[in-house]
Amino acid sequence: MLRYITNRVLVAIPTLLLVSIFVFMLQKLLPGDPILVLAGENRDPETIAMLRELYRMNDPLIMQYLYWLGDVLRGNLGISLRTGLPVTELILQKLPVTLQLAVMSMIFAIVIGVPAGVMSAVKKGTFWDYLANFIALSGLSVPNFWLGIMLILLVSVNLGWLPASGYESPWVDPVRSFQTMLMPSIVLGTALAATLMRHTRSSMLGVLQADYVRTARAKGLREKTVIRYHAFRNALLPIITLSAVMFGELLAGAVLTEQIFTIPGFGKMIVDAVFNRDYAVVQGVVLVTATGFIVINLLADILYVLLNPRMRANL
Amino acid sequence: MTSEDVIPTLELREVSIRFRSQPVDLIDRVSLSIRPGRTLALVGESGCGKSVTSLATMGLLPRKAATVTHGQVLFRGENLIDKTTTQMEALRGNRMAMIFQEPMTSLNPVFTIGDQVAEAVRRHRNCTKAEARARALEMFELVRMPAAAKRLDDYPHQLSGGMRQRVMIAMALANDPELLIADEPTTALDVTIQAQILELMRDLLKETGAAMLMITHDLGVVAEIADDVAVMYAGRVVESGPVDAIFNDPQHPYTLGLMGSMPALAGRVQGASRLMTIPGSVPVPEAMPPGCRFATRCPFVSSECDAARPSEREVVPGHRVACIKAPLETHFAQGAA
Repeated sequence: MLRYITNRVLVAIPTLLLVSIFVFMLQKLLPGDPILVLAGENRDPETIAMLRELYRMNDPLIMQYLYWLGDVLRGNLGISLRTGLPVTELILQKLPVTLQLAVMSMIFAIVIGVPAGVMSAVKKGTFWDYLANFIALSGLSVPNFWLGIMLILLVSVNLGWLPASGYESPWVDPVRSFQTMLMPSIVLGTALAATLMRHTRSSMLGVLQADYVRTARAKGLREKTVIRYHAFRNALLPIITLSAVMFGELLAGAVLTEQIFTIPGFGKMIVDAVFNRDYAVVQGVVLVTATGFIVINLLADILYVLLNPRMRANL
Repeated sequence: MTSEDVIPTLELREVSIRFRSQPVDLIDRVSLSIRPGRTLALVGESGCGKSVTSLATMGLLPRKAATVTHGQVLFRGENLIDKTTTQMEALRGNRMAMIFQEPMTSLNPVFTIGDQVAEAVRRHRNCTKAEARARALEMFELVRMPAAAKRLDDYPHQLSGGMRQRVMIAMALANDPELLIADEPTTALDVTIQAQILELMRDLLKETGAAMLMITHDLGVVAEIADDVAVMYAGRVVESGPVDAIFNDPQHPYTLGLMGSMPALAGRVQGASRLMTIPGSVPVPEAMPPGCRFATRCPFVSSECDAARPSEREVVPGHRVACIKAPLETHFAQGAA
């Protein structure tokens, strides 16, 4: 098992390096020379030369990359052109927000989607199955921004139950933080819940046909035990992989949803950065998001093996 | 063992089963009887209803898709058709158990085999986890699992097909059932392993005194293990009786054909000097012949065969056949022509 984990981590490293190269090149591919901007209106050749030396612009590209990578590994992602603040600091401000939104959306999606999928498979062909499928299809079809606006109108404006926008850190005021994040999580989680429901349903339907489920019934196990224990444990395996991909995507932030609820997360940050041509910030966010995605998938792979003894055989 | 007053372990009385969306009863008035300690082989081609009959007995047919439309399934005299789901769950894996054809897929891949056997014990006995595990080990030793103690924590994928079938047998017998239903338990196994598993089952049945319903299409297996035989064709029992009577004096044209199709047994069937085949195929439910269901393929067929379902006649005590032409000897001259 330890060897498998080590292997998977070692395989993740080249992927991360590729991501870093891509992110680094992003900056080099952009038109315009940042040194000329820095040199000011005079464009004094000596100043330009000095700046080039200072920023190691005269070094070969590979050396520039290595210097940059060294900085990144030390946690230095550069300075935001717009705000003048270190990018690392900006990201550390936004990361908890995005993380909280991602976790809450994922919890919502799993709590709704997985049981609905199981129920729909067990009661296949009945009213409940059709109802669950109808709701899932609706959940997939409804655009996030529309759902968000409707929720604000109904829950905040008309009923006054939850704040319409804003953000509060859970460390400062957990209740308020939960309240502000609840609607955005539901908006983001709805489509995910629908997808999870569909996948759980088909996975369960397959497993319920399996010979070992018949064996479990032949043992005299109660139907509840057969479904929860024998069938669900097997149906869960593909769901884990799917959930990991979903969670990884949530880490990139949700532009529209964050905009609607004015949540200061990654989505809003990256849009602002792109509009302001704040490339250091774009780079930083892309790098952190991609790394998060790779790490989540790595964890999912490890969990998959822990839950699936057949995989352990080939380690 | 011949006394008539012994309550059979399992008795099917004219059981009919219909699948939704089908025009006729797939299983049509099937009657079987197995006394304690005896093994009945239910023989027939694929699709003749052997497995459906066994699953119905266990109460494992999906209720929505199939219904028992007629008859009684009596287990030690109690009609199982009247039982509730909860009552059937309490019987299954306890007083009646089943092993299946596919050992490769019949065990849950994500649990250890020890846990899966112990689970059957814990479900039906009031015992601790440790006691259930001890019972699982005891069962593994009983089914002659090599290095049984080490195997408890193995997962199914770590075992060969023969070993997995031993686990299935251990699981089925863990609660000392009175009835064991084995649905083609050796079909998926290598020939050498088949012989081992059959021998094991025979020994275990002798030890425990359980009755067995063995479903098979393999007459070699029947000769090896059965006391009595019931031959099924297209959802009906066409011939039944003690194994010797069926092998030495088959009376139904279908049984005769079945025996003629078996290379090793072909020599024992009168008048069959070379390997016989049964022409045609089993009729589909939509085109069931009105009288005898074998009429479309029978070499002895005549117009009376389509008139009505042939009633059972007893050629010798205990040997029953559902054919109006029985005894067949009188027709051999015409049939061979």
